[in-house]
Amino acid sequence: MRVLLIEDEAPLREQLLDRFRTEGWALDSAGDGEEGFYLGSDYPVDIAVVDLGLPKLSGVEVVRRWRQHGRTFPILILTARSRWQDKVEGLEAGADDYLVKPFHTEELLARIRALVRRAGGWASAELRCGPICLDPGKKRVTRSDEVVELTAYEYRVLEYLMLRAGHVVSKTELSEHVYSEDMDRDSNVLEVLVARLRRKLDPERTLNPIETQRGQGYRLALDRNSS
Amino acid sequence: MVEATSSLRARLLVAVSVVLAGFLGLTGLSLDRAFRDSSRAAVDERLLTQVYGLLAAAELDEDGGLRIPDVLPDPRFASVASGLYAEVRHGSNVSWRSSSALGVKLDVLSPDEPGTARYSELNVQGAGQLLAVSFAVLWERELGDPLLYEIRIAESRDAFEAQLSSFRRTLWAWLAGAAAVLLCTQLAVVHWGLTPLHRFAEEVRAIEHGERERIALPVPRELLPLAESLNGLVAQGSRHLERYRNALGNLAHSLKTPLAVLRGATELADDTPFRQTVAAQIRRMDETVSHQLQRAAASGGSLLAKPVAVAPIALGIRDALAKVYQQRQITWELNVEDNVMFRGDPSDLMEMLGNLGDNAGKWARSRVQIAARHDDGGFLRLVVSDDGPGIDPSTALHVLERGTRGDENVEGQGIGLAVVRELAEEVYGGQVRIERSAMGGGAVVLQLPV
Repeated sequence: MRVLLIEDEAPLREQLLDRFRTEGWALDSAGDGEEGFYLGSDYPVDIAVVDLGLPKLSGVEVVRRWRQHGRTFPILILTARSRWQDKVEGLEAGADDYLVKPFHTEELLARIRALVRRAGGWASAELRCGPICLDPGKKRVTRSDEVVELTAYEYRVLEYLMLRAGHVVSKTELSEHVYSEDMDRDSNVLEVLVARLRRKLDPERTLNPIETQRGQGYRLALDRNSS
Repeated sequence: MVEATSSLRARLLVAVSVVLAGFLGLTGLSLDRAFRDSSRAAVDERLLTQVYGLLAAAELDEDGGLRIPDVLPDPRFASVASGLYAEVRHGSNVSWRSSSALGVKLDVLSPDEPGTARYSELNVQGAGQLLAVSFAVLWERELGDPLLYEIRIAESRDAFEAQLSSFRRTLWAWLAGAAAVLLCTQLAVVHWGLTPLHRFAEEVRAIEHGERERIALPVPRELLPLAESLNGLVAQGSRHLERYRNALGNLAHSLKTPLAVLRGATELADDTPFRQTVAAQIRRMDETVSHQLQRAAASGGSLLAKPVAVAPIALGIRDALAKVYQQRQITWELNVEDNVMFRGDPSDLMEMLGNLGDNAGKWARSRVQIAARHDDGGFLRLVVSDDGPGIDPSTALHVLERGTRGDENVEGQGIGLAVVRELAEEVYGGQVRIERSAMGGGAVVLQLPV
């Protein structure tokens, strides 16, 4: 999944980006409101984390403009101002959650995962489709309670497909949400990744978890078990 | 507290009364004086006329001297104690005395030379105060030298005094009447003149009660500078608060972002005693900064505060919390009538409701209710209740103290309630109680003066 972080304080931004990277998320980041607004408008981000005190364009304004432009991805605001007036203003502008600085990084990660899950229509912390279960917190995938070992990119692909379970995901969309901007995108690599995933998740070829919709993309075809 | 000097109305009335009394008094005195002088002149004139009357009535005696006949034109000369007396002197002898002047001696000074009159006042035993004239006349005879006579006529002062006092009574009665009318007029004038001031005071009171934000009524030119400075002051006050809050917000931002970096950095480090120490201190700093900033940002009283409707603010908080707690599937009930008002700063109300709602949201199983109404005692009663485990009465007080957490594992628990307590009790002079809600969970009740 693709995360946009707008934070003007460089040390905090770098720290969070490092942490997000180890989560295996595709990242975009900006140090001011204007740049952040354009990134959020132009790229298919899954969630935006926006500091409220930004230069050039305030965080609240960024959120408001995105919503006016019809951007629906979840937004989490970070604020140093702990007064409710600021929180309510941010939430009314269109943000979905807030976190007051200084926060625990794990708390932030948990909130991000929860918001993305919610946006994908998932209510529980674990994503379950048929016998396959993905735990975003632990980044662990099991099939019928047996752990399936996946590489980082395989995991990312599966996570995105499961978040969008039931919907067709084009290759472009998949690559946009799995790879950061600066990475070289090659659809062949995606095909290889999906093929490997199918092998690992369905070694007996009885489940067919990932369908190929010719000319359109992929679809995780198993029923959601909880939501 | 402003010290009150005597009221403007009193000052004006006192000044006007003094001027009025002085003016009317002087008028009365001078009229009195003029009347008295002219009455006196009339009396003197009359006396002189009597002198001429006597001379006209005089006859010649055998020596060619002056003889007064028995019957005189004015009958008062004939009756005793009539109030009109006359005598004629020749040298030092009284040659004639009117019948009325029996036993009355007209002892007055003689005029300097013949043909002139001399007026005087005298007090005679038996006749009282008299006004007198003495007139010397050189009586020409056909034979021999002319004779020098002195005619003295006196009149009782009573008539003069009666006339004078009658005039005085009339005069002072009229003057008193005029004074009364003028005073009443003056009262009306002062009242009318001060009306803009009263209106101005009402206007200022309206601002104080928050019913108005500035003086908008037309004011007299004299009050214009005052009205303008007052408007400026009020505007400056709110600007000041705004600036202050912004400054605090910026301070919060500049303190908390480094704290966030620090906290992030400690989380990356190995779990050592050093890391634990740093993490604990960061938490302490965070709590202190949050607490002090919250406290300082409170508007600090309801002076110049407008009553604000609670419903829209509660709705904003409810929507915000419902969004944040969407995952928890909590039903957020709102029970606030449109006419429920809070006297104070809207952001303070938001702060109290937000913290209480947030707290309730953390504990609730499925329901949170935010209710507000005016109770019988004229207080605003805000109740935020949930259906969670509730707060143990033994720790209830403890929870309200600053920085103490009811549950160490739930982030920010203690600070929120402590902030609510400080705002409600210390800033707004209200009360906070922790009770059990009808839903079985905790209920925090705020009672705030309206």
